[in-house]
Parts: sequence; structure tokens; C-alpha cells
Amino acid sequence: MLKKYKPFLRAGAMDTLSYRFNILIWAVITVFQVACLVFLWLAVYRSSAGGMDAEIHGFSFREMIAYVVLTTVFNYVTFNNDTLWNINNDIRKGTIGNYLIKPISYRGKFAATSFGSLLTMTLLFGIPFYAAALLTLGGLGFLPDLSFPAFFVHLGLFLVAGLFASLLNDVIAYIFGVFCFYTTASWGLNSLKETLISFLSGTLLPLAFFPAGLREVVSWMPFAGMSQNPVLILMMKYDLAESLRCLALTGTWIVALELFAKLLFSHAIRKVTVQGG
Amino acid sequence: MIEVNELTKVFRKPVRGEGLSGMVKTLFSRKYEETRAVDGINFTVPDGEIVGYIGANGAGKSTTIKMMCGILTPTSGSVTIDGLEPYRKRRQVAQNIGVVFGQKTQLWWDIPLIESFKVLKEIYQISDTDYAERMDFLGEVLDVTRFLSQPVRTLSLGERMRADLAASMIHNPRILFLDEPTIGLDVLVKEKIRRAIHALNRTYGTTVVLTTHDMTDIEDLCSRIILLEKGKILYDGALKSLKNRFGNLKTLTLTVPAEIRAETAPPLSPELTLSEEEGRLVLRFDADRLALEEVIQYAFRELRAMDMKLAEISVGDVVKTILSQQEAAHAEKI
Amino acid sequence: MRYVHLYLTCIKRSMISRLEYKKDTLVALSSFFFSNLCSLAALYFILQSIPALAGYSLPEVGFFYGFSMLPIALDHLFSDELWLVAYRRVKDGDMDMHFLRPVPVLFQVFAETFQPEGFGELILGAALIAVCASNLTVTVTFGSVAVLFVGALFGAAIITSLKIAVAALAFIFKRSGPLLQVVYNFSNYAKYPLAIYPDFIRVLLIFVLPFGLFISLPVDTLLYGKHNPWLLCGAIIGCAAVFFALAVWVWTACERRYESTGS
Repeated sequence: MLKKYKPFLRAGAMDTLSYRFNILIWAVITVFQVACLVFLWLAVYRSSAGGMDAEIHGFSFREMIAYVVLTTVFNYVTFNNDTLWNINNDIRKGTIGNYLIKPISYRGKFAATSFGSLLTMTLLFGIPFYAAALLTLGGLGFLPDLSFPAFFVHLGLFLVAGLFASLLNDVIAYIFGVFCFYTTASWGLNSLKETLISFLSGTLLPLAFFPAGLREVVSWMPFAGMSQNPVLILMMKYDLAESLRCLALTGTWIVALELFAKLLFSHAIRKVTVQGG
Repeated sequence: MIEVNELTKVFRKPVRGEGLSGMVKTLFSRKYEETRAVDGINFTVPDGEIVGYIGANGAGKSTTIKMMCGILTPTSGSVTIDGLEPYRKRRQVAQNIGVVFGQKTQLWWDIPLIESFKVLKEIYQISDTDYAERMDFLGEVLDVTRFLSQPVRTLSLGERMRADLAASMIHNPRILFLDEPTIGLDVLVKEKIRRAIHALNRTYGTTVVLTTHDMTDIEDLCSRIILLEKGKILYDGALKSLKNRFGNLKTLTLTVPAEIRAETAPPLSPELTLSEEEGRLVLRFDADRLALEEVIQYAFRELRAMDMKLAEISVGDVVKTILSQQEAAHAEKI
Repeated sequence: MRYVHLYLTCIKRSMISRLEYKKDTLVALSSFFFSNLCSLAALYFILQSIPALAGYSLPEVGFFYGFSMLPIALDHLFSDELWLVAYRRVKDGDMDMHFLRPVPVLFQVFAETFQPEGFGELILGAALIAVCASNLTVTVTFGSVAVLFVGALFGAAIITSLKIAVAALAFIFKRSGPLLQVVYNFSNYAKYPLAIYPDFIRVLLIFVLPFGLFISLPVDTLLYGKHNPWLLCGAIIGCAAVFFALAVWVWTACERRYESTGS
């Protein structure tokens, strides 16, 4: 049953390999971006009432830097799919018709492709990058003391959280991709999606900094599970119970969004047949 | 006047490995493969001529056209258009040439066609009177007036191609380069486009260089053809003499009883080739070398023909014959 | 004169294209607005948790941020097509048509798109400046206002020049988008007062990629009278002239090496 999706999984892996080798450029962009944030946080903590030793919204300066570095690596390894662009392409070029007559699900094709690139990225870049980040941060004393048996449990939960984050990212990208049936502003849609994710997932700023009301609302949304929660699980800022609660919430959202995506797609596809391609 | 002198273009392409390991290898070492897309060709096109530039896919047609209009620079040799090298004096030459690439449109996709023309009017600095006259002429010969107010993306392929042709002619270029202007079009639209090219050539004396795979285009339009194969010129001259050069070729198509097959039929002479096409037997021969009378007698006696049709070979057949001979010769070498 | 007329004709063309997709322009505009709003909110949340950032109060930091949006917005209005050139159009062999026309290619690239989204950014930046300024005591002098105008206008010219030079590299390497991204992202640094950076970053932001020169220094001049406004105006204009000349030179040199794809 799942076997027919294997070619897409493979295609995802190959794509990732061919274009993620632009890694040098990525590294340069990232180093400058992380540096900018480090300077900003340095100024923030220096200016705070408690000075460099202050804890702001539960983050010490060192933890904040660790958080910035780890979310950056996490986002790079986990979020790499062209789902939105590919759907947009299929719609504009009319190739979507080819998939509708094949005995595979359109959604399944993208899920398989994304999973393929997640696997490749994790094996190829994830392992060395996480190792390097953790060792450097740990060596500089930027990580809390990791107590070892417990860390492996968190590492395991982190891997699950990473998989969930990738699935969530893919289904959200898919939903935005299906919106391309209704508008040609794929560029605007994509930037809307990216902004939404980077703001609400805690990439831009840990959600702890949000005002209480907003924070409460956002904590029930799916986005925190895409970046902040996995990283805080890895950093052991969440205890076991909190980690499991996060995973359960994210899992529920994945199911809910998949259902929504299904409904949306069947509505959108009716529009195509009206337009005649 | 176009002068092409020892024109050569060599492309270097990195050789990519296959599969995952190949991809990794490509990262570390790059091997290049050189292809001589155009290989030392020479010809001259005088003003007012319509030249058909033909050859199989990958023979170097588009590469030559691109060098002639200045968007590719020759590896060696030169092209001059009225004395200017287009890849060096791009802007000056651009004012005097019009180009259509059949596969790509140069019109703006989302706006009504007329707006594209208005922009082109400004780009080429066409005066109001000239513009009005050109629009009349193009409206008539290409029949574009009807869909001037429609956005280009809503046009059919045939309409879009006519629009593109009109756009390339709007500044009254002295030379028109058409790269497969009839590709993918139906017979009626092709006919319309050919008439327009003829009209343009007659009315304004425009020189036209066109590539095509459609032999009817060639027979209808071109007084001269240049036949290209693997970057080299195979034939350059009038259509008629192309036919003559390959002799007085004729085909005799026979309806024969089912048991008569091309392979088993008793041969008449090595000068005669037999083949089966659409259930009929087709005999091809050079009437200067093999008497027609003899072939017909053979057809009746040995092949028990019930019906027959005699035809002179078409240019298309000639070109096909030449190209397949070339391919066969090439295959033998390998 | 001819080119002004031609530019206007082309821009009219671009606007007609946009009007074909009103709904889409709205989506693009709102996504753009939203993304700026999010960055601002993040900055606001951070500043809420501390008394001041390196001695700068919330409205002061807001003023820097708002002012940084002006040159970026102006550049955005006119030169968005350069992103496409750098990322896609050269690689896809999509530049041929520009090379077949009797008008400079760089001109055609600028005439290809006009992005009204830039107005949104311009308005947002101006509004932010107004709100922040009303919470500050600013001594307005002729010179300090002049330096803001010069900073915004010629700053935009400097950003555009940087974009031209980097996008032009695509003519040689087929794709220069990621590099353009690297250079352009430095504008993020200029959204905050230079005081938060170590010295070498400050030097970089004033003398090499001069986002600080035309964003931070003019604001410092207006708010605190730190620099001589006329000298600063001169420096910014001079810098813009040098950058623009270099950019056009790089573009011309790279354009000459453009080759269409084979076959």
C-alpha cells in the first residue's frame, strides 16, 4: 500500500541532496543572522535590571544563545520542502490533472517527498550539526548540566518532536499550496506562511516573551510544536510530563489539519474542473 | 545582408554523474564535455531572400539563429548583419531585426495584447503614423485585430503565435529570424502564418531566416534552403537543385497481393529500394539510372501489381533521405 | 526624456498587470504588512522586559526601526525585478528578450516591475516614526531633517546599487540570488542602534556595507545631534554616487558575458 509512494520518497531525498549542497551559502547567511541576534540579546541582557546574570522570562543569557543556535539548526534540518511551490506549479502548468488520474493520493505524494528529504537532511546534516552545536554550546557552558540517562529520554522525545514538526510543516505548506487554487499570489501566500510560522513557533522570539493573554492563545495553536517545543525538550527546559503534553497536542493538530486539508482540497479541485484547467 | 563566416560555437557542459554516488562525485571533480554545436559554417543571405534553415533536432539551427541575433557569442568565426556583429553591437542591430522563438513568447502574459504593442512602440520609437500603418497591415495579414483587447494568457496557441509574429514585425525590421514559427499549430493557422510571411517579404522586402520541421513551410516559402547536420552545412542552395542533385527520384506505390512482401520479392537491381508502407509496396528509384519502363514491367510481372501510383519525390522525402543516410553513415562509423 | 516616457509606459503596463490580479495584490500587500508587524511586535515584546536597550528607550529604538524601513521601501518600489534576475531569470534563460531590444538591459529590468507593496512599507515606517517621535523630545533643525531625507533617498540608491552589482553576477554564475540574500540581510543589522554592536561590526556597517551610514547615523543626528548634518549629507550622497557608478560598471561588465542557453 505504502510502497507506491517510495519513488516520491526517493525523489525528495535526491532533490534535497542536489540543492541543499548550497550549504556554504546557507552557512554564511546563518552565521550573520545568528550573530545579529547574539548581539541583540547581548545588549538586551546587559541593559536588563539584573545585568548579564539576569533571567528574563525564564531564560538566562546562555540559555537564550543556546536557544537561538538550536532553533536555527532545527529549522534548517526540519523545514525543507517545496510543497507550496510544487502545488502552485502543478496548478499553473495544469500538470495537476496527471496526478488526479493516478492511483495515488496527491497529499500522500508530498508527505512522502517531505519525509524523504527529512531523512536525508537528518542523516547527512542533522547528526553532525546537532553534535557540533551541542558540543560547542556545552563546552562553552551554554547548556544546563545535562544529567545523562534523562538526556537520552529527551533526545528520543526530541526526535519524535522533530518528526511531528516536519509533518506539521508539510501539512501547513500543503494547505497554503491548495490556497493557490484560489489566488495566484503564491509569493504572498508563502511569505504569509513563513511569517506566521516564524512568529508563532517561537523562532523569532521564545513565546515566554509574549504578553500573558496572547501567550495562552498561542500555546494552544499548532505552531509552538514546530520549533520552540522540540528545542526546549532537547534543552531539557521541559520536564517529561510537559514534553509529553506538547507531543500530544502537536499530534492532535496534525490529525486535525490533515482532515482540514482533505476537505479543502476536495473543494478546491471542484474549482479546477469549472475553470477547465 | 547577413554574412556568416567560419562560424563555430562550442559548448562546454559539466558531465553529471548518475544516482547518489554520481552526485557526490560531481561535487568534487568536474569533467566537461565539449560539443561543437556549430562547426565552421559559411553562408550569405542577400536582402529580401527567404531562407529555410533546416536540420534534425540538435543540428545547431537554434544556436546559429541565436548567434545571428546576438544573444550567443561565437567561439570563433563571425556573423555580421549589415556589417555589424550583433553580439558586439547588440542595441544597434536590435533595431533592425525581429525575432520569434516559437517555444517562448516575448509578450507580457497578463495584459491585453494591445498594451504589449504600445510598450513595443515606445521601445522601438515607432512614430504614430508608422505604428498605425503597421497595425493595419499586421491586423490584415495576421488577423490579430479580433483579440487585441484580450490578455495574452487567454489566447490559443495559434493566436499567441500570430501575436508574437506581429510583435516581432511591428518595428518594420529589415531581417526577421523565426525559430520554428509553426510548431504545434494546425494546418489553417500555419497557412495564415505563411501568407503573412510572404506578404511581409513582398511588401517590405524583409529578409527572413526561418527554421522549421514542417516541409510544407519550406516548399511554400523558401527559395533557398540551408541543410544543417551535426553543426555542418550539408546543402546550401535552391530547392530545385536539391532535388536534381539527388537525381530524378521517383516513387512507385503498388497495391499487391498479400503474399508479395518487400523482403521476399525477387530483386530487380540494387538501384531500386522496396519498402512496405501502410500495406502498400513502395518502390524508390532514380529514373536516370533505371528506366521507368523496366520498373513498371517488373512491377506487373514479378510483383503482380493490381494498382499503381507514380510520383516525383517531394522535398520532404529528399531531406528525410539525406538525413537518414547521414544517420546510417554515422551509425556505421560507430 | 525618451527614457522617462518609456519608463512611464512600462510602469503603466506593470500596473495593468497588477490590476488583473487585484485579489492577489491584496494578499501580497497584507502578508507584507503582517510580516513587518510581527517583527515589530517581537521587538516590542523584548523591550517590554527591559528598561532600555543599550541606553535607548522604546520610542528611540522604534524610531530607528521605522526609519530603516524608508530606504528599504523606496528600493523595493523600483528594483524588485533584480531578485528575479538573481534567482531565476538568467538561469531559466529568460533574459533573451531583453537582449533583443534596442534599449539598455538594466533599464528594461527596472521598467519590468513596479511594486506598490513598497508604499505599505513606506506608510508603516512613517507611522512608526510619527508615533515614536511624539513620545520623544526632538529638536528639529533644518539640517537634521535634511539628513533624514538624504538618508532615505540616497540610502535607497545605495541599496539598489548593491542589488544591481550582486544581481549582475548571475550573468556569469547563472544564479546569484543566495549571495544577494546575504548582502541584503545586512539591512537587518541596521534596524537597531549601532551602539549595540562591537566595533568591527560598526566599521563594517559604516564603511563596507553602509547600511549604518544612511540609517543609524542620520537618526543619531536628529535625536542627539551627534554628527554634523551637512557633512553627513555629503558623505551619504558621495557614497551613493560611488556605489551607483560601481554598480553600473559591474552590471555592464557582467552583461557583456551573458550567453543564452544552447539549442
